[in-house]
Amino acid sequence: MKSTRRNFLKTTALAIGMPTIIPASALGKNGAVAPSNRIVMGGIGIGPRGREDLGAFLKQPDVQFVAIADVQEERREIVRWMANKQCGNEDCAKTRDMFEVLGRPDIDAVLIATGDHWHALGIILASKAGKDIYCEKPCSMTIRESQELADAVNRYGRVFQAGTQRRNVDNFRFAAELARSGKLGKIHTVHASILHLEESHEWLPAEAEPAIEVVDWDRWLGPAPWRPYNKNYVQGRWRGYYDFHGGAALPEWGAHTVDICQWAANADDTTPVEFEAEGETIHARYANGVKMVMRLAGFNGEGKWVVPGTCPVRFEGDSGWVEAADSGKVAVSSPTLLAGGAPAEMAGTDPSKHVRNFLDCVKSRAKPAANADVTRRGHIVSHAASIGWRLGRKVNFDPATETFINDAEANRMCSRARRSPWHA
Amino acid sequence: MMPKPTACAAAPAARRGTPEPKILLDTMIAIRSFVPSLLVLALSGSGLAAETPEATALAVLASQAGVHEKARACQQLGVVGGPASIPALAALLDQEHLADYARSGLEGIKDPAAEAALLKALPKLEGLYLAGVVNSLGVRRDPAAVPDLQKLALDPKRGVASEAVASLGMIGSVEAAKTINMVLTTGPAELRVPAAHAALAAAARLAKAGDPAAARVLLDAVVRTVTTGALPAVAKHQMAALPAK
Repeated sequence: MKSTRRNFLKTTALAIGMPTIIPASALGKNGAVAPSNRIVMGGIGIGPRGREDLGAFLKQPDVQFVAIADVQEERREIVRWMANKQCGNEDCAKTRDMFEVLGRPDIDAVLIATGDHWHALGIILASKAGKDIYCEKPCSMTIRESQELADAVNRYGRVFQAGTQRRNVDNFRFAAELARSGKLGKIHTVHASILHLEESHEWLPAEAEPAIEVVDWDRWLGPAPWRPYNKNYVQGRWRGYYDFHGGAALPEWGAHTVDICQWAANADDTTPVEFEAEGETIHARYANGVKMVMRLAGFNGEGKWVVPGTCPVRFEGDSGWVEAADSGKVAVSSPTLLAGGAPAEMAGTDPSKHVRNFLDCVKSRAKPAANADVTRRGHIVSHAASIGWRLGRKVNFDPATETFINDAEANRMCSRARRSPWHA
Repeated sequence: MMPKPTACAAAPAARRGTPEPKILLDTMIAIRSFVPSLLVLALSGSGLAAETPEATALAVLASQAGVHEKARACQQLGVVGGPASIPALAALLDQEHLADYARSGLEGIKDPAAEAALLKALPKLEGLYLAGVVNSLGVRRDPAAVPDLQKLALDPKRGVASEAVASLGMIGSVEAAKTINMVLTTGPAELRVPAAHAALAAAARLAKAGDPAAARVLLDAVVRTVTTGALPAVAKHQMAALPAK
């Protein structure tokens, strides 16, 4: 008999003497999803943004969330409470050791929403453990990590979705598809908004470490290099520090906006061939001549973007342009481009459709919208651009080898050592 | 293998870190900020241009600067350092809090002397320090490291056999593959899964390098030796993607 989860449940039930009258809900009737069709999930490192993702997962009828691993007790307890409330039981396990979650054979998929410096290694370890993965962005600290995570996901045959949910937000999809369809004419420039670039090498003052059960600082650091504990880091204020925030913060929004530009430019399978910074604006050019401009936008709307909201993108062709942002709105150069109707307004930060796309792919084994291959290249573009900015000069990049051309200095910025004993 | 810290793990950071008294911190930083400049002047006869970024970073390492300043200097040398930086970085490979930073410097220096320095450190190191250097040798992917990694992979007493196998997988040469195969087929049971992961990585390298036959041997070994979990299926899938014999 072919071994399936359904068969396993059946034989296990017989073996341990469970009642043979099975509730209708367990068979998927009355709107419930049968256990064999449920996706059993665990979480690794779920803070404020991760809880938004988790909320979207918990709303799905076919998700059963059974365990949380977090190095912070307070966060473990919040997530456990959320999961148990949704499921109406007390079954969600909590631990500070992610290997307890990865080692559970009943868990199909994991939500990873740690700090950025843990993302790629978490993806790799989860892939090796045979789990499908939804991981918050940015998914990598370096170009090398972008490659490693995609290689691991593909090698182990996992379904992976980066938390770049704008691939499944209506107005962004609409804008990208408008560009890809040719309705804007030949695309010549795509614009990706970014935040201010920053790269601090400071250390916050040392503070006494909490008890390991309260905050496991050594595990919080994980592959990042050692520094003394300060509560600000674990409370979310790690951004801007080189050791925890890759790419000089460019991938913070670039993971979304550069990624959408790659998609719109029909460039998911390549990268630009050159990057040149001019202040905090970075100009990139693809081999086919299409330009990408990474330029500032902020929470206050600076940067001359038309559509309100964070994370704006803009695509320009010979015969028109379109712009989209997190307000859910689009702007177009001509009303005729909206002849088929404007897209439904949906907040750009809403992960619900993206989560559903992931879950459907876990079942079908198809590639999600923000799969490992597009994530690899989109993140590489962000990192390569930030390296150009750090060097303050033009850098040339080979999309085939994913290395800088005749530029040892730039190539030495493509990876970082992991703190022992962590490795891929 | 999943790099779960085991017996070789150092004491938790809570016991490793000794926070500097806050009252002195600002003063110390102010004093330290002058030290590198003075040492750059002292280095002017060393053959390194006195004001290069490398010389400045080396001056910090030679000074009484604190962990923070030296850590940053190591990272900088990973980008700007050359052969002249290798001895100073290698000297930190057994230093608490700085060993990983030193590796970040050495991983970035492509000169063969950096590889030699890492290899030379192997017999002297233990625990996390040894595991870190083994990992760096894998990252650098220099075939010159294979004989030493082979010894570590086959010597359980050093405590880094799984790290050594993983690094051999990252190097992925034919010689590295032989040891991985040996560990898979005749090694201790606890190394079988780490060796299988290494075999998958090495097979991918070998296939990319145009040696599908060597890749097939490794993948076949995974299928034969690992009987539970998903790894045999992963190996079969990878084998199916190889060019036909």
